Amino acid sequence: MALSVMLEQLVWPLAMVFAVLGGGVYLWAVLDGLAARSFGLPQAQSVWLTPLSRGTWLLIQQANSTEAPDLWAWRLAPALYLALAAVGLALVPWSQGWVATDLATSLVLWGSLEALATVVIFLQGWSANSHFALVGAYRYVALGLSYILISMFVLIGVALPAESLALTRIVASQQDVWNLVRQPLGLPLFLMVGLALTFRGPFNLADPRDLAGGTSVEVSGPPRLVWELARSAMLVAFSGIAATVFLGGWLGPWLPGPLWVMLKMLAILALLAWLGRWFAVMTPSRCLSLMWLILLPLAFVDLVWAGVVALL
Amino acid sequence: MKTSIVVDVAFWLLAVFAVYTGWRVFRTDSMVRASFFLLLSFIAVGVIMLLLSAVYLGVAMFFMMGVEMMVMALFMVMFMMNPAGLNPMMMVHQHRLSIGAGVASFVMLAAMALLAEFPRHPLPNDVQPVAALGNELMGESMLIFESAAVVLLATMIGVVVLSSQRGRFGSAEQGSMPPGLEPGGDPAGMPDEDEQAGGHHHCH
Amino acid sequence: MAVGWLSRLAMRGPATVFPALGMHGEEALYRLAREPGITLVDTPRHATILLVAGGVPPHFHDSLRRVHDQLPAPFAALWYRSEPLLELQQPGSGKMDDLAALPDTIMDTCRRLMAGEQDTASRLLSDTPPHPWQGLGDDGHGGEGMMGGVPYGRPMAMPPTPDLRDGLALDILTFRLGPFFPLWPAGLEAEVTLQGDIVQQFSVLSAPYPRALPRVFLEAQKGPVAIAELERKRIRYHMRAFFHALRLAHLPDLARRALVLAEQCDSQPVEKLSKRFRAFERALARRGFFALYLPQGGTLDSEQSRTLKGFAARAAGVEDDVRQADEGYRRLGFSVLTQQAGDVPARWRQRLMEVEQSLGLIARAQQKGTVTAVTDVVELPHGAGSADGLLESLLPGLEWSEALATLASLDLAEVSPWPCP
Repeated sequence: MALSVMLEQLVWPLAMVFAVLGGGVYLWAVLDGLAARSFGLPQAQSVWLTPLSRGTWLLIQQANSTEAPDLWAWRLAPALYLALAAVGLALVPWSQGWVATDLATSLVLWGSLEALATVVIFLQGWSANSHFALVGAYRYVALGLSYILISMFVLIGVALPAESLALTRIVASQQDVWNLVRQPLGLPLFLMVGLALTFRGPFNLADPRDLAGGTSVEVSGPPRLVWELARSAMLVAFSGIAATVFLGGWLGPWLPGPLWVMLKMLAILALLAWLGRWFAVMTPSRCLSLMWLILLPLAFVDLVWAGVVALL
Repeated sequence: MKTSIVVDVAFWLLAVFAVYTGWRVFRTDSMVRASFFLLLSFIAVGVIMLLLSAVYLGVAMFFMMGVEMMVMALFMVMFMMNPAGLNPMMMVHQHRLSIGAGVASFVMLAAMALLAEFPRHPLPNDVQPVAALGNELMGESMLIFESAAVVLLATMIGVVVLSSQRGRFGSAEQGSMPPGLEPGGDPAGMPDEDEQAGGHHHCH
Repeated sequence: MAVGWLSRLAMRGPATVFPALGMHGEEALYRLAREPGITLVDTPRHATILLVAGGVPPHFHDSLRRVHDQLPAPFAALWYRSEPLLELQQPGSGKMDDLAALPDTIMDTCRRLMAGEQDTASRLLSDTPPHPWQGLGDDGHGGEGMMGGVPYGRPMAMPPTPDLRDGLALDILTFRLGPFFPLWPAGLEAEVTLQGDIVQQFSVLSAPYPRALPRVFLEAQKGPVAIAELERKRIRYHMRAFFHALRLAHLPDLARRALVLAEQCDSQPVEKLSKRFRAFERALARRGFFALYLPQGGTLDSEQSRTLKGFAARAAGVEDDVRQADEGYRRLGFSVLTQQAGDVPARWRQRLMEVEQSLGLIARAQQKGTVTAVTDVVELPHGAGSADGLLESLLPGLEWSEALATLASLDLAEVSPWPCP
C-alpha cells in the first residue's frame, strides 16, 4: 500500500520530470535546427543527429582551465542552473492530481527560480576569471532584474482569476477560457521573459557574439555541455510554466492531460525557436530601455486588465 | 501532524549546512564568494521553513535573498576598489571587537533559547498561511506597509538622483554647485580654489 | 565498444574552426563561412581546429602560440598559405595552399582527431600563469588596509579615476585584445580599458593588416578598365563587409546570404543581382538590423570623415568621390550620394545606397561598354583606409557591443600593394 502511494506520488512524477527534461532538451535542439534550416542555413547532417553529435563532441573534449578560476563555482554553476531548471519543471502539473511538487505557492517558487538563476549565471561568468565572461555576467545581472519584474507582474495577473498561487488551481481557473484569451498581453510578454531568461535571440546579452561567447567564453568540454543543456532545460521548464498558466495546461478534449501539456510545450518551444532566429540581437542599452519603458508599463496594463476582468 | 524520520534528517543536515556556510562567509577571501555563501546559508534556512510548513515565507526567502545577495555582491565589488572582486581580500576586520560581539550575542541568544518559555500551541489544521498573510498586508497593517513602501521608493529614487553624474540639470559638477548667498553671487560654502592650478591638488 | 560508438557520433558533427587570420587570409574565412559542415567560432576554447590563414608577421608569433595553446584537446592546427611556427615545421604539419580543398581537409582532420587516428597537437608554451602571484603576506592580505600587493597583475583601482557615466569609477579592467580577435579587423591589436560594459580607453597597439583588393582596382590606376567590372568588385567588397556585421548581429542566415551575394557578383546577370539585393535589403530592415542592433553613436566629425574618405565620408555629408571627375562615369549619369548623420547606421545605409547605385551603373555600363577615363587615382571601395588616433577618440564612452558595431562599420585597413590572390 505504502509502496503504491510512494510510486504514485513520488516516483512517477519525478520520472516524468526527468523524461520530459531529457526529451524536451533534445526536441528543443531539433526544433532549433529545423528553424535554422527554414531560415536558409543548410545543415551538414540530419537535424535529428546534430544535437547528439554535438553533445558527444563536447563530452570527449578536454575541460580546460583558466588562470586562477574559482574552480568550485565554475564547475558547479552549470549543474546548479540545470538543477534550477529541473525544479522549475517539477512544478508543472501534468494533470489534476499528477504534480511532482504541488505547493500552495508554486508560482512564487518559479519566481524565486528566476531570481536564483541570476546568481548562477553571474557565477558562471565571474568564476572563470576572464574579462569577457565577467562582462557577460555583469550584463545579465544588470538586465535580469527587469526580466524578473516583468515576469512577476505577468504571473500575478494569472494568479488573480484563480485566486491562488498554486499552478493546479490556475489551470482549473482556465476551464472556460484560457488566460491567453482572457489576458492577451500576458503570453507575448512572458515569451520575451523566457527568451531573456535563457539569453537567446534578441536578448542574448550574456553569451553573445560580441563577447565571443560571454559567460561561456572560456568553457570547453563537459562543463560546456552541461551549461548548454541547462540553458535548454531552463527553456523547456519555462515552456511548461507558460503552457500551464496561459494555455490551460492539461485541459483539452480527446487526448489525456499530460499529452496536452507536452503538445502545448512543443508549440511554445517552436515559436521561441523561430522568434529567436528572426530578430537581430539588441544593444544592452536598447534592451534596458525596451524592458523599462515599454514592456514593464505593458506588464502594468496587463495586471490592471487582469484585475478589471476578475472584478467584472 | 506526524513528522517522518526523513524530515528530521533533512532538518539537521540543513541546519548544519546553514551554520557551516555562515561560518565560511567570514573565512573566504572574496566579497563575491562571501555573499554567495551567505545566500547558501539563507537558502538552507528557507528550506527549513518549508519543512516547518511556512510555505510562503520559505519560498519568499529564496527569491528575496537571491536578488538581495546578487545586488550586495555587485555593490560591494563596485565600492571596494577590488577589480571584479577577483583579488583576494580579508573578509574580517577589528578582530577583537568582533570576537567579543560574537561571543556576547551567542551567549545572549543561547540563553534565550534555553531559558525562555515558548508557547506550545500547535497550529490548527485549517490555517491558510497565504490568506493570513494577505489579510495582514491588506487589512489593518495596510497603512504601515503602504507608507513604508512609498518611503523606500522615494529613498531609492533619491539615492539614484543624488549619485548619478548625469543629473537632470546637466552633469553633476555643475548641478551640484550650491546657489549663491545673494542672487548671482559666488556659490555658498565652497572652499577657495587655487587660482592657477584649477583645483587639481586636493589633499588625500 | 562504447568509446568507438561515441567518437563515431562525434565525427559526424560539424567541424568547429577558430580562424586566426594573418595577412591576406580572408578568402579562407569567406570560403569556410558558406560551408555547412564547418562552424566558425569566436574563441579558441570552442574550437577543434585552429586555422591559421595568411602570413603572420614574426612579432605576432608569441600571440599565435598563446592562441594555439588555448584550444582544448583533441585539437589540430592547419596552415593555409601560411608558414607554420618554427617548432611546428615538419612534414605533415598541416600546411596547404589550395582554397578549394580547404573545407574537406578541415573536416577530414576533424574526423581523424575524433576517431583517434591523429594525435592531438602538443602545447607550445609551459603552463605557467602570465601574472605570477604578487600578493603581500601569506594570503595576499598583508598590504595596507584589507588588501595587499598586486596579486594577479591586477592592481586595485584607486580613485580618483576618470569617470564616464555613473560615478562608480572603481571597477576598471584593462586587457589586451588581438591580433587574432575574430570580431574585429585581422591584425588589429589594442589595449582596452573597460569600466563594466563601457569602453573607457582604447589604444591601438598595432593597426589592421593591409587589405588586398581585387586586381581590377590596381589595374584601374594604370589604364582604363570596364566600369561594370570595377563596380561588380565594389559590390562584392561591401557585401563581404555586411557578412561581418550580420554575424555580430546574430543573424547568421543573412550573413550567409550576404556572402553568397558577394560570390555571385562576378558571374550573375545584373537583373538577378538587383532582385536578390533588394530582397536582402528588405530582410535587413524587417529583421531589426537597424532598429535593434545598430547603435546610434560612432559619429565621425568632419575632420575625421575627410581623412577617412570613401563611403564613411559620404555618410557624414562630405561630397568626396573620385568617380564624379571621371568622364566614363559622368556619361552613365553618376552623381555622388551623401547623407548627413555620419553615425553607424548612416554608414551601413550609405553602403546599401552605393551598392544599389553600382547595380544601376553596371546595367548601363554593360550596354555601352563604358570604361574609366581617369586613371591616376581610383575610388577605392573603402576610401583612404586608416586615420591616426581615430579609434582612440571614437570608441571611449561607447558600450562594448556598440564599440564593436562601430568598428565593423568602418574599414580601417590600408590597401595592400598586392592584389587579391
